[in-house]
Amino acid sequence: MHTYVLRRLLLMIPTLLGITVITFAVMAAAPGGITAQSLIRGQSLEPAAKKALEDYYNRLYGLDQPAPVQYLRWLNNISPIGFTFDKNNHIAGFSLTKGSNLGTSFYYGRPVLDLIKERVPVTLLLNVLSIPIIYLIAITIGVHAATERGRRFDVVSGTIMLALWSVPTMLTGVLMIAFFASDQYWHWFPAAGISERQALDMPFMPHWSALSDLLLVFLLSIAGTALFTLLSRKGRRTMRTGVMSGLGAVLGILMASQVVTKGISMLHLLLGLGLAGLFALIGRSDYERLRGATMGLIGFGVGVGLACALAQGHFVRGFLLDRLWHLVLPVLCLSYGGFAFLSKLTRTAVLENLLADYARTARAKGVKESDVLWRHVFRNSLLPLITVSATLLPGLLAGSVIVESIFSIEGMGKLAVEAVSGRDRELVLSVTLISGVLTLMGYLIADICYAVADPRVSYE
Amino acid sequence: MEQHFTVKDFWLFAFLALLLLMILLSMYMVDRQWERMTEMERTMTEQAASLRDLVRTISTGISANMNTARRAVNAQTIPDAFKRAYRATQIKGYAVGDWLVSPFGTGLKTLTPLISSDAYSAEVQAYVLESLLTRNPASLKWEGMLAKDNGWKVSDHGLTITFQMRRGLKFSNGQPMDADDVVFTFNFIMNPQIAAPRQRAYFQKVKSVEAIGKYKVAFHFKEPYFQSLELAGTMPILPRHFYARYLKNPQAFNQSTGLLMGSGPYRLEDPMSWTPDIGIVELERNPYYWGPIQPPFEKLLWKVIENDSARLTTFRNGEIDLYEARPREYQTLLKDQALARRTQNLEYMSPTAGYSYIGWNQQRDGKPTLFADRRVRLAMTYLTDCKRIVDQIMLSYAEVAVSPFSPRSPQHDKSIKPRRFNPGKAKALLAQAGYKDRNGDGVIESADGKPFKFDLVYFQDNEDTQRVVLFLRDLYAQAGILMIPKPTEWSVMIDLLQHKDFDAITLGWTSGIEVDIFQMFHSSQTVPGGDNFINYKNPRLDAVIEEARSTVNEKARMLLWHKAERIMYEDQPYTFLLRAKSLVFIDKRIHNVQVTKLGLNKDILPVEWFAPAGMQKYTH
Repeated sequence: MHTYVLRRLLLMIPTLLGITVITFAVMAAAPGGITAQSLIRGQSLEPAAKKALEDYYNRLYGLDQPAPVQYLRWLNNISPIGFTFDKNNHIAGFSLTKGSNLGTSFYYGRPVLDLIKERVPVTLLLNVLSIPIIYLIAITIGVHAATERGRRFDVVSGTIMLALWSVPTMLTGVLMIAFFASDQYWHWFPAAGISERQALDMPFMPHWSALSDLLLVFLLSIAGTALFTLLSRKGRRTMRTGVMSGLGAVLGILMASQVVTKGISMLHLLLGLGLAGLFALIGRSDYERLRGATMGLIGFGVGVGLACALAQGHFVRGFLLDRLWHLVLPVLCLSYGGFAFLSKLTRTAVLENLLADYARTARAKGVKESDVLWRHVFRNSLLPLITVSATLLPGLLAGSVIVESIFSIEGMGKLAVEAVSGRDRELVLSVTLISGVLTLMGYLIADICYAVADPRVSYE
Repeated sequence: MEQHFTVKDFWLFAFLALLLLMILLSMYMVDRQWERMTEMERTMTEQAASLRDLVRTISTGISANMNTARRAVNAQTIPDAFKRAYRATQIKGYAVGDWLVSPFGTGLKTLTPLISSDAYSAEVQAYVLESLLTRNPASLKWEGMLAKDNGWKVSDHGLTITFQMRRGLKFSNGQPMDADDVVFTFNFIMNPQIAAPRQRAYFQKVKSVEAIGKYKVAFHFKEPYFQSLELAGTMPILPRHFYARYLKNPQAFNQSTGLLMGSGPYRLEDPMSWTPDIGIVELERNPYYWGPIQPPFEKLLWKVIENDSARLTTFRNGEIDLYEARPREYQTLLKDQALARRTQNLEYMSPTAGYSYIGWNQQRDGKPTLFADRRVRLAMTYLTDCKRIVDQIMLSYAEVAVSPFSPRSPQHDKSIKPRRFNPGKAKALLAQAGYKDRNGDGVIESADGKPFKFDLVYFQDNEDTQRVVLFLRDLYAQAGILMIPKPTEWSVMIDLLQHKDFDAITLGWTSGIEVDIFQMFHSSQTVPGGDNFINYKNPRLDAVIEEARSTVNEKARMLLWHKAERIMYEDQPYTFLLRAKSLVFIDKRIHNVQVTKLGLNKDILPVEWFAPAGMQKYTH
């Protein structure tokens, strides 16, 4: 195992060299290329000043030298050991302690490392929130769809997932802003950014001016959750369906009357029926875990909603809640495509193993069905999920270009795109280098995870 | 040996994860509290210092300085530059307070003056930095800002300008400002270690700046220059005590993101720590502001919202107070009742908005092109139906441009009118130049049978430009000219301009109150990197431009500009297309919004907008 890991780590070096060579070549060959002139752009300078600035950039980045030399210089800069240069750009000596330097961004004129340090936290936050959601939903739905193959749950979830998977993120993002962040419809969420200006002055935790309000929220939310969970567990099917569809209709009509304040309109009918249908579907479902979780969540929501309606005092939402509130839409946008895809994948993998001989043997010798599923089948179906997770690690830092630019979040994805369109070589190379390292690390970790998940896999 | 992952383990892991999350959150919380505390500490030291100052002032008797501050509130003693703001305070309903929230369409690189180059950072700096003079938005006359009313003198045939500065000027941390800061600012800009090549190029004409007394400063010029007063008067004054330390460490200045301090009515809460990743810029009122009229808004806020539909939604929600629309969008938004109830809309011709044009490259790869012939360029102008572009594509929210000079500026000769669309005249001119349809295929050819064909390069991301180009393609095709549209990325476009590697290009120039056309049309600027990228050379125009630039007398200079305009009108180095109107929606809460000769009365000092007490949104 150790030799295997070591070998893989050493193999990463030529791969990374390849990645950077290709990136460098593409950047150098791109129309508009990188020359000292392109760095000055359309600045309205007197020609003499332009010339001086060009010379300055040539000295700084060696842009007047042939491309291979530029590449070697860049390699030397990022490697922690290497040659040092004197003032006239001649090699002064070899140093083991010179330290690596990712360079200075052309466009921003600042060290690349500073820029990345600035952008990474918010991208990390987005992904740390969305990845558990993706996996949780994908596994709960995918596994159950496989066991229910061909029945209603499978068909309905399959259709919904396929539909979700086909909707492009930029469309969803814009639609979400238009419907759920706009005064014209439902202004429930903010349209842009990651926190409100006022929230920066607020305390960290939410605050209630009256203790009774806090108590109310606490009690009602617990009561709501408990009530609905109980209903899901003990209630008969018709009762569950009835209560849920009633609740759905009420919520739908309330929602519609936020938009149409006067009279009853088509919207009331549509939303009432739509939500009633959706909630009835949840209530009717035979999948106990999913039903319990969803109904519990709905109960919690109803409880909190009631508490807010009944509360007397003043409420300050606080920094934490404000941040979470801003992240709801971006995280939704970021995760729905992922869980739609992963749940289909999980379904296929589990299905294949459910039909395998060993599963039948296990059933035949009297193992409980749930044990067959989770102990035997699920573990064997993990391999494709692990393969997919290998790409998560670079994704964590690379960020999502689309979601970040729709919701005006200053993250890594936006930085990378700006770098490419601005021909910011140092920044592009550093971002590719980092995501290259992370991808390779992701594959390595995935390979190790194979061995952990499946004892048949060994690297000795 | 057999270790299975059981449900119990799952709860254990879940509990551990929750615990870890709690620890992380509480760490973050403590961190935030710590930041707040340092912030409070800074405010307290600041207050203590000003208290000490106050005690000292009182113990040494009430200084003249304090006296002027007390007396300033009656109308007669108010300096000229503050008269407009004073009148705003007299409007019924005037109140201090509230915030002004504006959007930014793209993220900012840096707020540090000199190294920032975009319009957005300039907008923020306009509230923080002040200069010696300011232009009156109504009369366009210069008025003293940091300089005394009429406290400047141009002497020595325009080679020396002396400014008498006001007493009692202060920077936003309470430190006094004097002539040394002005001298320092100039020397700081001219220091080659500082990454401000653009400003250095502007100040090339200044020989030196010299402090004559504590409050008197003189600018010496190398040669007479028509914009010398503007150059000297609009230089933003930087505090020496704040920026001088960066002379030892220029790298820290050149790579900084938020080193911004000045004497303006607003300031950054911390003049050193702003970074672009937070997505907002926030200015607070400067408690040490020296001016007799304190600014109305408590805070100025800019939100970076890059996505267009998100920006519109935020404006609809009332989270931003200002929205600039494109013509088509503007027309649909005008019909919106909900928006009309909450906002006011303005359409105006901003003098700084500039004009768009098609530049005809006259020399490519050392050889003259189709457009080297004046008759061909003139024919192209006759074929370009600007009137229809204005009416149909810009929906009349624009006007036809005739020259680089705005029709409202004295630089423009009123007798010059834009050429009308005239295909007949164009055909005749082209035939004169030797282009005729010789083989009956509908395309005109030169004498040696080469078809009249060219590429038009344009910026790909602008919808309106795209429409204009496609419209022109059809118009030209009717006259037998093949035009191939070339949508281009910005960085590629720069490269093409650099190497003058294009046939024709459509672009726009921004302009100012008085436009200097030296950069675009003087033949010396055809050198690589110059802005005369169309290789236009006309010795007659060169002479006129040079003479105008060195003529300080305004009347004489305007006649010279008229002459230059006439030459360009005959020569058509560009086909001038149009000047677009600015179409803006502003929240109704904002009062005293005016369109002046400088455009909207926003981003000018002193601040004139305000929100009446009953309508204020952010402060109670």
